[in-house]
Amino acid sequence: MSTLESLPAWMRKRSTLVFAVLGVWIVLGTVFSGIHTLELSTATNTPVTDWFRELAASIRGSRAESPLFVYFFNPLRGAIEGFIELIRALIAVPASGNIIPVIGWLGVVALVGYIVYASSNWRTSLLSMGLLTACGMLGVWTYTMDTLAMTIGAVLLSLAIALPIGIWAGLNDRVMAFIRPVLDLAQILPTLVYLAPLALVFLIGIAAATIATMIYSIPICVRITAHAIRSLKAGPIEAAESMGSTRGQMLRKVQLPMARRTIILGINQTTLAALSFVVIAALIGAPGLGKPVIEALTIRNVGDGVVAGLAVVFLAVMLDRATTAAVQHSGQLPPEGAALVRRRIGLVIGAIATVIAIYLSRFQLWAAVFPEELVIGEYIANAADAVTEWITSTFYFLTIGLNENFTIHVLNRIEGLLANTPWYITIIAISLLAAIIGGRFVAILSAVLLGAIVLIGLWNDAMVTLTQVLIATAIVMLIGVIMGVLAGRSARIERALKPILDAGQTLPAFVYLVPVLALFGPSRFAAIVCGVFYATPVVVRVVADGVRGVPSDMVEAAVSSGSSTTQVVTKVQLPASKRSLLLGANQGMIFVLAVVVIGGFVGAGGLGYLVIVGQSKPELQGKGLAAGLAIVLLGVVMDRIAQAGARRNEKKPA
Amino acid sequence: MTMTSPAPVDVSTDAAISVRGLWKIFGEKASDIIDSPDARLPRPELLEKTGCVAAVRDASFDVANGEVFVVMGLSGSGKSTLVRCLTRLIEPTAGEVFFEGEDILTASKSRLRELRRTKFSMVFQHFGLLPHRRVIDNIAYSLEVNGVKKETRHERAMEVIDLVGLDGYANHFPEQLSGGMQQRVGLARALAVNPDVMFLDEPFSALDPLIRRDMQNEVKRLHQDLNKTMVFITHDLSEAMKLGDRIAIMRDGDIVQMATPADLVMHPVDDYVADFTNDIPKSHVLTTGYIARPALEGEEVSGAPVDADAIVRDVIPQIVASNGAVGVQRGTEVLGVIGKNDILHLVAEDASEGSAT
Repeated sequence: MSTLESLPAWMRKRSTLVFAVLGVWIVLGTVFSGIHTLELSTATNTPVTDWFRELAASIRGSRAESPLFVYFFNPLRGAIEGFIELIRALIAVPASGNIIPVIGWLGVVALVGYIVYASSNWRTSLLSMGLLTACGMLGVWTYTMDTLAMTIGAVLLSLAIALPIGIWAGLNDRVMAFIRPVLDLAQILPTLVYLAPLALVFLIGIAAATIATMIYSIPICVRITAHAIRSLKAGPIEAAESMGSTRGQMLRKVQLPMARRTIILGINQTTLAALSFVVIAALIGAPGLGKPVIEALTIRNVGDGVVAGLAVVFLAVMLDRATTAAVQHSGQLPPEGAALVRRRIGLVIGAIATVIAIYLSRFQLWAAVFPEELVIGEYIANAADAVTEWITSTFYFLTIGLNENFTIHVLNRIEGLLANTPWYITIIAISLLAAIIGGRFVAILSAVLLGAIVLIGLWNDAMVTLTQVLIATAIVMLIGVIMGVLAGRSARIERALKPILDAGQTLPAFVYLVPVLALFGPSRFAAIVCGVFYATPVVVRVVADGVRGVPSDMVEAAVSSGSSTTQVVTKVQLPASKRSLLLGANQGMIFVLAVVVIGGFVGAGGLGYLVIVGQSKPELQGKGLAAGLAIVLLGVVMDRIAQAGARRNEKKPA
Repeated sequence: MTMTSPAPVDVSTDAAISVRGLWKIFGEKASDIIDSPDARLPRPELLEKTGCVAAVRDASFDVANGEVFVVMGLSGSGKSTLVRCLTRLIEPTAGEVFFEGEDILTASKSRLRELRRTKFSMVFQHFGLLPHRRVIDNIAYSLEVNGVKKETRHERAMEVIDLVGLDGYANHFPEQLSGGMQQRVGLARALAVNPDVMFLDEPFSALDPLIRRDMQNEVKRLHQDLNKTMVFITHDLSEAMKLGDRIAIMRDGDIVQMATPADLVMHPVDDYVADFTNDIPKSHVLTTGYIARPALEGEEVSGAPVDADAIVRDVIPQIVASNGAVGVQRGTEVLGVIGKNDILHLVAEDASEGSAT
């Protein structure tokens, strides 16, 4: 602040300063357009990317010799692979010498149905069985089982690590303080950047995919578990202490049972995170539905992509509904009297039916292998192709037209400012904006990290990615605030939006690519649309929560003093929920970044494309790794600026 | 400020709990403050100078066996902190707390747990019931953590369920009960271990007025039946008057006065206490023994004598109905008499004080 105080009053107003910086930036950018842009063709390496390539080569070379690999990484790889293969052999792939896995499709459907029934209710159980069968009917049963096996395995391993850490962090402030930075970093790391480094250490395959999935889902579980313990009501705990509980008794008899519901909610989130990651992890050899999705994206086969994508959606809905129902079930009082008897009878009958189904699925071909005559995947693929064809030809102006207009008039202009201006001007401009928004420290951090991207040699690609992130975030905020305010003000709109928001938060980002690619073709615009689809639900939810959290007497006071609805929204509800808006913007940006880099698959270019190319072309592996690093640096810069801005805003009233 | 604290006395043998020089200061380096002159600073100045808050300052008192000892004060006066210091739910900064001759503040963790499991019990303002346990398992919790077998502890729990009027609710969950019923569970839980001392921290403040009155009567009844030593925290003076054998009034961490209800009303030590007690009608707290006077020459004394421990209010009809003055007796000893005029004076005083406030 001290630098600002020496300026005259009109210059101290932050919005004025922001516009001033933008104005100068645009003028300079137009005058010096096209020089010192550090543009680099995809196939060209820089000294730093070369260094990364050599590092990768030396890691590959040391796999057989280095003690770190021989005694740690390689055995770890073997153990994890063995564990996952065990689950796969049970439901997905035949063990050698067999023609079917241990349990055939009918057995799996029955077993899943039974587990869901036992942990919640029969309605959710029927839904789960229906969704699983639908996956079979799409003709991707084995892929589905592979994804399910990978997800279950990764979730079990994640929980085994995350629950104890989360509980410990919930009980102990020092542990929490120690792991918080790790959790924060994990939240802003886009999924795509984990993949290459892990594949390098653990080889492409199941182990690397599982570990990557765990790295993604463990922080989520730790965070929610610690929160579950921390947010317990103090009263019962103090009472239990006053009755002479030991620490162990307190944990077992009081804290864990009281936190159970929230912990199960954490398992729900962990499961969905793991599923969405397992799909993307097909890039580094995860078996399952991710494979056909990637293939479809690569050869632009919309029909097959839709079929595989639908199966992912079904699986996601099934896992979400099942675990959500388990959360609700765990919050209910146990049944009594007749209800208890009915429940017991149901469990026994279900158990018998499941055993019979598993038996049949081992010895009857129709119950073991999903029957061909039930498969309608091909029709769906053809229908999807036909619909896409019809939409793109009939609504040309809406799809390709929108894409072209947006690209020419918005995307190219902003990209021109960020990427086509001399790099030092862009860095100075961004750092100045960071100083205005977040203060001196963030400004220095931004300048240093952006400078590092220049050193790596991926400046231009980073600016291409940044452009897409900023545009998508702006659109997300516009839609998110409007819908969030509507949902926050009206319970009816909230109810109407809920299924869409739920779906948006449940679906793996990857599956958005398929329809978006179908409609808009491979382009930067497609990546932006994906980012918008993926990030909007989160922002709507955060904003709606914020608006709803504004004390009702504050709103009543405004209404009673004669404010119009618009005035209530703009003068009371939005200012009072400013914190939520800033939080939403930060979250939205991080979500957008994660998806925009995946947009490398659909022609978005930028850093994401380099990461993906690095996976398939050995000579560009170093560049892919470096691009991953650049994505992280970019994410940290954006996150820090937004967070510092939010913090400043909190302090201001005091 | 501290002149009103009673002079320290030797730890009396018939006291259930003796507290000597108990301090609780929240903040960093709190223990350094106690021996410095800063400890005597008024609260806001102490906070400004050291960043610490003195919640309890130099408290000393004895609670006799079977006594109901009430600590009364407004919110922030330190009363809840004081009661938590007695069982070390909050670790005191300095002082001594004796229970059966043992200094609790120096007891080991396991000894403290043992005391909490068998000798002390506590009732909380917001009940503090375990939401995932049925009423019976809430009540049996202390016994359970003390390793008592399921059958035995359930048997005992059923006994206290009966005692506090919760019959038929053993298998309910707390959330299925009203606030008053939940606090009955809290009471039953505190009684289950048959403790020597019960600590009740504003147990009825979260309840509706009518239910509060019921529960106060319940506690009175339980105290008469079981004769437990109780330390009762409240911010409600009429509750304090109704239940307390003695009342300690706290203000900003200090105990400003410690006296019987009648003494508090008749001899408030300062304006602060007087401000509270002005609202209390004297006829509601004074005993007949307190206002008995020698009979005047030739005064007619008629009717059955009243008990010296009876509250004046309760015997007004009898005195008004009698022809002359009424005798006051404790056992067989005659303390004096009360006439109609005495009653009129007292009631008139109550009325004028009531209108003045």
